[in-house]
Amino acid sequence: MNAETLDLARLQFAITAGAHFLFVALTLGLAPLVAAVQTRATVSGSETHWRMTRFWGQLYVINYGMGIVTGLVMEFQFGLNWSGLTTVAGDVFGAPLAMETLVAFFLESTFLGLWIFGWGRINRWAHLALIWVVTLTAYVSAYWIIAANGWLQNPVGAERHGGRMVLVDRAAMLTNPDALIALAHVLGAGLLTGGFFLAGISAFHLRRATADLELFRRSLRTGMIVAVPAALFTLGVGFNQFAVVDEHLPMKYAVSTGDTAEQARLQAELAAKLGPGDYSPPDWIGVPADLMIQLGMVLFLLATVNLALAYRRRAGIVTRISRRLLTWSIPLPFVAVLCGWLFREVGRQPWTINQILRTEDALSPSASAGSMRLTLIGFTALFAVLIALDAWLLGRFARRGPDGSALGAAPEPAAEPEPVPNF
Amino acid sequence: MDVLAIGLLAFAAVGYFVLAGTDLGTGMMLFFLGRDPAERRLVIAAFAPFFLGNEIWLVLTAGLLVGLFHELEGELFGALFGTVAALLAGWVIRDVGLWLRGRLDAPRWRLFWDGAIAAGSWTVTGAWGWIVGSVLLYRLDPETSPFPLIGVAAAWALFALHGLAFASLRLRGAPHERARTVTGPSGEQVTFALTSIGMAVIPLVLGARLPLRDTVTESAEFVAGTTAAVLPVLVAAQIWTWWIFRRRVTAPGYL
Repeated sequence: MNAETLDLARLQFAITAGAHFLFVALTLGLAPLVAAVQTRATVSGSETHWRMTRFWGQLYVINYGMGIVTGLVMEFQFGLNWSGLTTVAGDVFGAPLAMETLVAFFLESTFLGLWIFGWGRINRWAHLALIWVVTLTAYVSAYWIIAANGWLQNPVGAERHGGRMVLVDRAAMLTNPDALIALAHVLGAGLLTGGFFLAGISAFHLRRATADLELFRRSLRTGMIVAVPAALFTLGVGFNQFAVVDEHLPMKYAVSTGDTAEQARLQAELAAKLGPGDYSPPDWIGVPADLMIQLGMVLFLLATVNLALAYRRRAGIVTRISRRLLTWSIPLPFVAVLCGWLFREVGRQPWTINQILRTEDALSPSASAGSMRLTLIGFTALFAVLIALDAWLLGRFARRGPDGSALGAAPEPAAEPEPVPNF
Repeated sequence: MDVLAIGLLAFAAVGYFVLAGTDLGTGMMLFFLGRDPAERRLVIAAFAPFFLGNEIWLVLTAGLLVGLFHELEGELFGALFGTVAALLAGWVIRDVGLWLRGRLDAPRWRLFWDGAIAAGSWTVTGAWGWIVGSVLLYRLDPETSPFPLIGVAAAWALFALHGLAFASLRLRGAPHERARTVTGPSGEQVTFALTSIGMAVIPLVLGARLPLRDTVTESAEFVAGTTAAVLPVLVAAQIWTWWIFRRRVTAPGYL
C-alpha cells in the first residue's frame, strides 16, 4: 500500500458515493410526492392528477434508474477497496448493510418494477399501495445506510476485542444519536430537493404558459408547500447537529469554526491518548459547511416568497422574476446536499471509524495503484456520462410536459390476439 | 447457525443465477432474437418487468456476504478484483442501456443502447465464467493462466441456453421461432426447467470450493434470523410479479 493508492481509492469512493447521493436525494424527495399525487388521483379519479402522477413519476423513474446503478458500484466497493474496514468491524458494520438490502432495497426494487411495468394491469388500489411501499422502503434504506454511517462517526455499542470490534449493545447502535439526527437532516434535505424540483419545473411551464396550466399550478403549490417546512426543518436540525458533531468529533468542529486554540488542545489530547499523528481533517472543511447553511437560507427565503405568490392567478413582474429564480435554483439543493456530504465525510478524516480505524488502514491490503487508477478512470468516466445523461434527459422530459411521458401510457395494440398463459 | 447462514447465502445466489440468468441470457441473444429495432424492443419487453427483481438477488447475495461472511468477502474480492470490477462495469452498462434505450425515438440512439445491453450482458456472464473457472481451479489464490477461459466459454453457453429457453416461453412470432432452436423434444417448459437446474448448479459448485464454514461471522444470528424471517415475504413479492406477467409478450412495454 502506498499514499497514491490510498488517494486514488478515496477519490474513487468519493466520486461513487457523491454521484450516488445526488440521485438518492432526489429519489427521497420525489417518491413521497409522487405517492401523494397518485393517492389523490386514485381517490378522486381526476384526470389532472393522473397526468400529474405520470409526469412526475416518469422523472422519478429516470432518476431512479441512475441511482440504482451507482448504488450497485457502491455496495461492491466496500469489499473491493476497503476490506480493512470489514476486517476490523465487519461483525458490527456488516449487519446494517445486509439489513438494508434485505428489509428495504429488495422490496423497493421488486415493487418498483411492478409499479412501472404493471401500470394498467394491476388493480388501481394495489398499484397505489406499490408506490407507497416503494417510498417507505426507500426511507427504511436511508435509515440503515445512515445507521452504518453514523456508527463510523460515533461507534457506539461495540467494544474492541484484540484487533476487532465486537457488538455488545445492538440497541445502542440502532438508536445512535449521531445517526438519528443525520437521518432527520437528510430526509428534510431530500424533501427540499424534491419540492424545488417540482416547483422549479412547474415555474418553467407557467412562465412559458404551456398547456396543462392547472397541473403545473398545483405542482408548484405542492412543491412549495413541501419545500418551506422542509427547509426550515433541515436548517433547524442542521444547527442542532453541530452540538452532536462537537460531542463526537470535537476536532472537526474546532477546525470548521477556525478555533485554533481548541484545535491545538485536542491535537495534544489525541496524541497523548492514541500516539503521535495528525488528527485534524483538512482546513477547508468549514467552507462547504458555510456554503450549505447559506444555500439553505437562500432556498428557504425563495420558497417562502414563491409560496406566497403561488396562489395569485395573474402573474405580475414580481411573480415572473420569482418563478424564473425558482427554475434556476433547481440545482442549488443538490449543491447543498453535496456540501453537507463533504462536511460529514471529509470532516471525519483521518478516521474511517472515529478514533478506531484510520482511513489508510481501512484500505484493502491487496489494492494496487495500477488497478485503482484503472477502475477510478473507468467508473468516473461512466458516472460523468450518467450524470450528464440523467440531467439532460430530466431536462428534456421536464420541458416536454405530461404528453411526453411514456410511463403509464396506454399499451400499444397487440399485433395478434391475446394468447393463453403458459406458465 | 453456520448451516443456516450458508443455506441463506446459497438460496440468494441460486435465486440470482436462475432468475437473472434469464434476462442476462436473453440480453446476450438480443441481436440473434431480434433482427430489427421493433423485434428487439419486443425481446426486451420479454424480460423488462423482471430484471429489477432479478438483479436484486445479487445485491442480496452481496449483502449477505457482508453481513454473514465479511472475511470471505474481503478475500474473494481481493483475489478477483479485476473480474469483479469488469462484472460491475458490464452490469452498469447493461442496466443503463435498458433504462435509456426507450427515452429517445431515434434509430441510432436505440441501436447504440441495444448494443450496450448485449455487450453488458456478455461482459457480466463472461465475468461470472472467469470467477467460477478461477475459483474452481485455484480457490482464493488465482494464478495468471488462461484456463479460467474454459469457465467463460461454459458460462456463455449456459447463460445463452437459459436465455433462449426463457425467451421461447415469453415471445411469439419470428423471435419465438429463433428462441425455439434450443427447445428439446419435451417442450419449452421442460427445456427451461433443465436450463434452470444448470444455472442453479453454478453457484453451488462455486460455494463448495469456498471456505464458507470457517468464515461465518461471529454475531450472525441477527442478520441470519432476520433473513430467514423476511425471506418468505420477498419470495411472495417476486411470485406476484411473475404471476402478473405470466402471459406471452404481445406488445412493446415501457422500455
